[in-house]
Amino acid sequence: MDNLKVLCSKLIKLRVDHIVTRSAKFTVKYRPPHWYAPKVNVVKDDDLTQDNMQFIKEVISDRNDSQQELESPLVQSISHTSQQWLPTTRRVGLIARKIGNYPVWSNNGKKMQTTLLQVVDNHVIKYIPPEEFKPMLTTERNWREKRKLGCMLVGSETINPSTVTKDYCGLFNSVGMLPKRHLRRFMVSPEAALPTGTPLFATHFRVGDYIDIRAKTIDRGFQGVMKRWGFKGMPASHGVTKTHRRPGNIGSGGEKARVWPGTKMPGHMGNRWRIIRGVKILRVNTKYNVLWTLGVAIPGETGAMCYLFDTVLPLRKLKSSPPFPTYFPSDDLPVEYYDECVHPFSDPTLTFEET
Amino acid sequence: MNQADVSKLVSKLRIRVPAEPRKLRNIKGPEGRIDKLRKTVTGLIKYERIELNSNRGQEARQYAERLISEAIRHGDCHKPTMDIADYWLLEKELIHKLFKVLVPRFQDSNTCYTRLLNAPRIIHSRNPDKVILELKGNPYPVLGSNKMNNRFLIQNVLLDAAKYDYRQAKYAEFAKKIVNKEEKIDTTETEAPSIEKQQSDDKLTQS
Amino acid sequence: MSLAIRRTTELIGAAKWFLRRDSRVLSTLPEKVEEPPAELTSKRYRRRFFQNEAILETRHAYPEFLPDPNPNWRNSLREKLERADMLERRSQIDIPEFYVGSVLAVTISDPHAQSKTNRFVGICIERKGCGLRAEFTLRNVVDHQGLEVRYDLYDPTIQSIQVLRLEKRLDDKLFYLRDALPEYSTFSFDMDPEILPEGTPIPVNPVQVKLKPRPWLERWERQELKGVSNIEEHLKEKDRVRRELRKTPWEKYDLMKQYRKTIPIEDQSKIWAEVHNQLQQLQMARKKSARKRTFTTPKTQLG
Repeated sequence: MDNLKVLCSKLIKLRVDHIVTRSAKFTVKYRPPHWYAPKVNVVKDDDLTQDNMQFIKEVISDRNDSQQELESPLVQSISHTSQQWLPTTRRVGLIARKIGNYPVWSNNGKKMQTTLLQVVDNHVIKYIPPEEFKPMLTTERNWREKRKLGCMLVGSETINPSTVTKDYCGLFNSVGMLPKRHLRRFMVSPEAALPTGTPLFATHFRVGDYIDIRAKTIDRGFQGVMKRWGFKGMPASHGVTKTHRRPGNIGSGGEKARVWPGTKMPGHMGNRWRIIRGVKILRVNTKYNVLWTLGVAIPGETGAMCYLFDTVLPLRKLKSSPPFPTYFPSDDLPVEYYDECVHPFSDPTLTFEET
Repeated sequence: MNQADVSKLVSKLRIRVPAEPRKLRNIKGPEGRIDKLRKTVTGLIKYERIELNSNRGQEARQYAERLISEAIRHGDCHKPTMDIADYWLLEKELIHKLFKVLVPRFQDSNTCYTRLLNAPRIIHSRNPDKVILELKGNPYPVLGSNKMNNRFLIQNVLLDAAKYDYRQAKYAEFAKKIVNKEEKIDTTETEAPSIEKQQSDDKLTQS
Repeated sequence: MSLAIRRTTELIGAAKWFLRRDSRVLSTLPEKVEEPPAELTSKRYRRRFFQNEAILETRHAYPEFLPDPNPNWRNSLREKLERADMLERRSQIDIPEFYVGSVLAVTISDPHAQSKTNRFVGICIERKGCGLRAEFTLRNVVDHQGLEVRYDLYDPTIQSIQVLRLEKRLDDKLFYLRDALPEYSTFSFDMDPEILPEGTPIPVNPVQVKLKPRPWLERWERQELKGVSNIEEHLKEKDRVRRELRKTPWEKYDLMKQYRKTIPIEDQSKIWAEVHNQLQQLQMARKKSARKRTFTTPKTQLG
């Protein structure tokens, strides 16, 4: 009998009106762009035999080889129909990895710290013309480009397809490429469009050009006010108790008797996107696709990914035509280019003449 | 940037070494931390398989690996190594075990000397994560799942079939290429390629 | 009955387990190790080992070729490019082998000097940094005034580095010369180079300096210095007690701390295999040119 009662009480609770329904007007307003797919690593122990695991590796390496044998599509198409570069056109950018810093010396004997950026295996994945490109709507009111720009997807570092989700793989499969570890969009002028599979090299930028670099800053976690905002703190002695590294007063009285928005306070520091503008390129290695850029303020730690594009600063903008739409691969290239102000290490010792 | 220390030479560990050591909070400070780890390493060498908290296990593993690699590199006639072994092994009979049992066991191995496995954990419990740290080649039964009958699983059966097809297609392509080559060779008519041809024929028959 | 059956099955299971393990109760051998012929491997191994050891000895002379051991800052490509640049600079200028404690003369081109060059002589009190950041500090006392100049080893304005006296001291860093009597760091600018006969090991100078009375720049008593003779004279009881309290005898046995400070052998031998030959060639070329010079010029007297 008891069991029956319990059953009845359970059944009574099952009601149809518990189902949540959405109104017919409901539309998804804010959505990610269609090419954005989650890329979580699928780590699974599939209990495969040794033989089969090797077979999968073999297939992947075969596909990789066939990908590498592909020729740049520029060879056929662009060489005939070269577009004209104008100061207003926007070229595609590059995805690079920050690999460290070391000094180089200038022609007048000054030491300059440089950051090395390696352009790893960059390929154009897809071009979406401006008519078809519908970016994600956001709640923030950003400044938006008035002219119509196309969207160029660039990927870097080919990876094992079995380590990423099917959705992410599908993005690349649809254009006949192998999945890349990093995928990034660049807004480009329609005349700077490139066909799928075009390799991009470090020589896309010239020595002496200025570039903007976008990357994530080093994650420093929750930090106090001294480290985060550079406050002075308070004295170590002279009767100061328990307030050596604290901010002190954070507001005044009267009408402003509250904490004003934007007050500098302790909190999470770093791990946010920042752009450093107008960085000069001092040296380029064409063999390993490495760029030497002036300064050590490029955001991120060693091994972080950066996105490079032509600078927007009015005084440092490109004056003459760069490789357009991108660098066309050719054989007769020196391994290293230097800017005029740099003293190459292979040159004889610097001497100053009496004037 | 610091200069690397050149006064000592160490062999590379076969495990991933984190950039920063774990602190293992202790009332006696760094000395207490090392004391804790000494006890764990001694226990590991003695029992060959121990269960302990995760962070301590990960830290102790590095020290055990280093101790064994030092012992393998220098042997028992090297005074500093003997000192190190004497410091790390609290029970002195284990020094003999280290040099006479573990060194011969691991001398020719290409992988790391220890194994670290996650121990089962009660869900939503507040206990810290546990790990099982063991020396390889210990006499206890194997931990983890038995993978003897893997090849009867559906994914393996399907993959076997796919492998067969893939290889067949590949060989067919090879054969085509070779035939093409032969045609070319026939047109040029030289002596040397005839040997190649024979070899290619052999390959074909093998495949 | 059932109990008995279970017993027997257990026994059989145990017996099987033992059989599978080749009846090894205490396993002393690894599972499945293919044993190559012992003689052959040992010989080959030994030869390779000794070659390797010889190459590894270069690390004392050229420590800046080893990268920073912090794994967060390491990148194989950057290190490779850096080493190539270092070798290119070395092909332009003779950067000799020297150690902390050696006396050097460095000539640099200086746009502000009268003759556009500047020469400084002093004892090397520190070598630090790796790669192109490598630097060294020279110390001398000129007109009763202590002078220290820091040079970048790969700075292209350095015209020449000359080793006047090649030797080592008892310590890795000689900062205590700042608090020592000035005669220990005084070297005349017209010092003649002392040439060691070829093949001799680098001599270690066992000189122990005398410190001036306190105040000092650092707490030298806590640093276990070998090259200082009179440290105990200047200490109070309080300092001795604190020195004892601050001692860290366990750090000598902290195997991972040592490991994190060094580059392991496997990594090092790769680096030296890449660099060693070129370094050797540069050295040989230098020796040849030096010999030619000795034939043309009369030999200077050692002083």
